[in-house]
Amino acid sequence: MSDDFQRKLQNELDSFKKVQKELQKAIQTRQQLDGQLNENEIVIQELNLLPSDGKVFKSVGPVLIKTELVEAKVNVKKRMDYITKELKRVDDLIASLEKKQDAHRESLQKLQHQFQQAQVKAALHA
Amino acid sequence: MAQISATEQKGMQQIDLTSLNIQQLSTLKQQLDQELNVFQESLTSLKMAQGKYQNSGETLEKITPESEGADILVPLTGSMYVPGKLHDTNNVIIDIGTRYYVEKDIEAAKDYFQRKTKFVTEQMEKVQYIGIEKSKIRDAIVEIAELKMAQQQQQQS
Repeated sequence: MSDDFQRKLQNELDSFKKVQKELQKAIQTRQQLDGQLNENEIVIQELNLLPSDGKVFKSVGPVLIKTELVEAKVNVKKRMDYITKELKRVDDLIASLEKKQDAHRESLQKLQHQFQQAQVKAALHA
Repeated sequence: MAQISATEQKGMQQIDLTSLNIQQLSTLKQQLDQELNVFQESLTSLKMAQGKYQNSGETLEKITPESEGADILVPLTGSMYVPGKLHDTNNVIIDIGTRYYVEKDIEAAKDYFQRKTKFVTEQMEKVQYIGIEKSKIRDAIVEIAELKMAQQQQQQS
């Protein structure tokens, strides 16, 4: 088998693995963001249940700092907007990575096929 | 925590398991095994959350107006306490997530923990249900794979 072909196969395999790794990382980020969004949703639900003069505190390091309810709501909503945007970004990233992965997988399969055929040929000639 | 549903969603399609080859079946089985693992893990963390909520709810029972002024030891760190007196027995401050805490009176706090316990319990039931369904599918896959393997062996001999 020619070195050239070997190199091509190795290259393809490397880039496939790289994309796979990136995809896994993106999926992990997605799960994390999803969790954060859910947590924020539960917090906003809870804040909405409070009377307008309800006392809200925000923990900053080891201390609790009193916050206005309205302010807390605005903050949580802002964070939810941000997380939703991030989610969309990661979703797009995942979609494009999946496409890349499929393309690599296909060309890998092709190369493998070629390799097998070449081997059969070589065996016949031997 | 995400809402979990077992209903059929758009984009799902039915596949006849018998139409798959052994390779595909084993990939599918691996996937299902992974999913089942995730479910098991979720159940464990849900159980922990459930325990925490229940525990907090029960602790509230001990805070009564009669206990006002009672001596308590306040944990400053995990291993250091300072003596204190119970000053306010009508309100507690609850961690509602993302570093926000709210003050609630005892009744509202009890209601909060009851709601949370109920929510977590419902999620657990859903996860359990899906888990059972998935393991049924997994069993079916294993069965068909074995059948196909036996057929193959027969053809070869």
